[in-house]
Amino acid sequence: MLHPDLQLYTLYPLSALRRVAFLLIASWIAACAPAFDPDARLDVDVPTRAQVANVPLIRQADFYCGPASIAMVMQWAGADIDQEDVAWLAFSPGARGTYLADMIGSSRRLGQLAVEISTFDQLLSEIDAGHPVIVFQNLGLGIAPVWHYGVVTGYDFGRDEVYLNSGQLEQMVLPFATFERTWRRGDYWGLVVLPPDDLPVSVPEPDILSAGAALERVGQLAAAETLYETGAARWPYSWIWQFGLANARYGQGDLRGARTALRQAQRIDPSVPEIRNNLAQVNHELAG
Amino acid sequence: MGFLNLTKKGVALALSAQLVLATQAVTLAEAQMVGTDAAISKYTAMANRSVLMDELQRSEVREQIIELGVDPAEAEQRLAALSDEEISTILTQMENDSAGADIVGTLFTVFIILLVTDLLCFTRIFNFTRCIR
Repeated sequence: MLHPDLQLYTLYPLSALRRVAFLLIASWIAACAPAFDPDARLDVDVPTRAQVANVPLIRQADFYCGPASIAMVMQWAGADIDQEDVAWLAFSPGARGTYLADMIGSSRRLGQLAVEISTFDQLLSEIDAGHPVIVFQNLGLGIAPVWHYGVVTGYDFGRDEVYLNSGQLEQMVLPFATFERTWRRGDYWGLVVLPPDDLPVSVPEPDILSAGAALERVGQLAAAETLYETGAARWPYSWIWQFGLANARYGQGDLRGARTALRQAQRIDPSVPEIRNNLAQVNHELAG
Repeated sequence: MGFLNLTKKGVALALSAQLVLATQAVTLAEAQMVGTDAAISKYTAMANRSVLMDELQRSEVREQIIELGVDPAEAEQRLAALSDEEISTILTQMENDSAGADIVGTLFTVFIILLVTDLLCFTRIFNFTRCIR
């Protein structure tokens, strides 16, 4: 069983012996598990196979599966960053692991859009859209957990395979049923980490907005600005993107840019007092 | 008399102007920017609800609902009885179910109808719906 209250996750380096043991267990589980039936399990239409290209394989330092996963996803997006840089912001040495919240927080402090997902539908939709997804797994059993973060980069229903960049130099390939078990024991926790001009496809608008507000909170105002601009292009009838855009610009001292965004917000919905308030404030500062 | 009328009008005008300014001042009392966070938590729940309510007004949806023997006004009341939390769960589930088809379209219509029938105990699609008889 899962330990939902257990917040701390570590990966012990898989020694050769452990790996053999794990593979034995994995193949045993796979042997007696019913095959993963995409028709029964999925509510979305996804192709029978999809692969995100060019996600680098990084060999994790001891206990660094979390930071290594984030580094892989950020390098894939073109950032110049390594697992040490991420570990500095995310890793808890005393716990010899990385907390879920620190996975999200460190991604945001590095200027990335980070949004959680929790279903197979979302996972496969993101892969199909070309977005790698960080997943939280228990590679062991409920009674003897081996917590681990990996990056799902592809899947193939026909071959019954899920592909992960999993902290080793070779790709990890798991049958769907085995992956499903390891992910279920991690409570289906997944994290989409993207540059702010690329939006997740399987996540509702308010969640992406909140991720933008979080970028503002951690002082990543330029990233927040980009995210709000991208959101405004995708949801042009939603004033709140312009509102956030104005705040991100205001925070960077761009009063005129803030005014432009607030006026746009007001055109979309003239009735919102918060827009009036902020526009008055910006106008006041521009006049003074 | 005319003079007095004018004064009355003036006083009324001044008073109402003051009232308007006072109300404005309340909104503006913060004299600082309202954060994005605050706006999100105040408005996204409301927007979610209005998306569903708008959908109930569409003629295809209304026709279907009436065909099922449901009074559209009753359907609206049932929807209004859901909490913000439940509404957002519904929308998350809906966006997941219809990923790729986008929010608008047949899927959404079907979704709304199922939601209404759920609330009326005809169907049992969503875990959280309380069916009320």
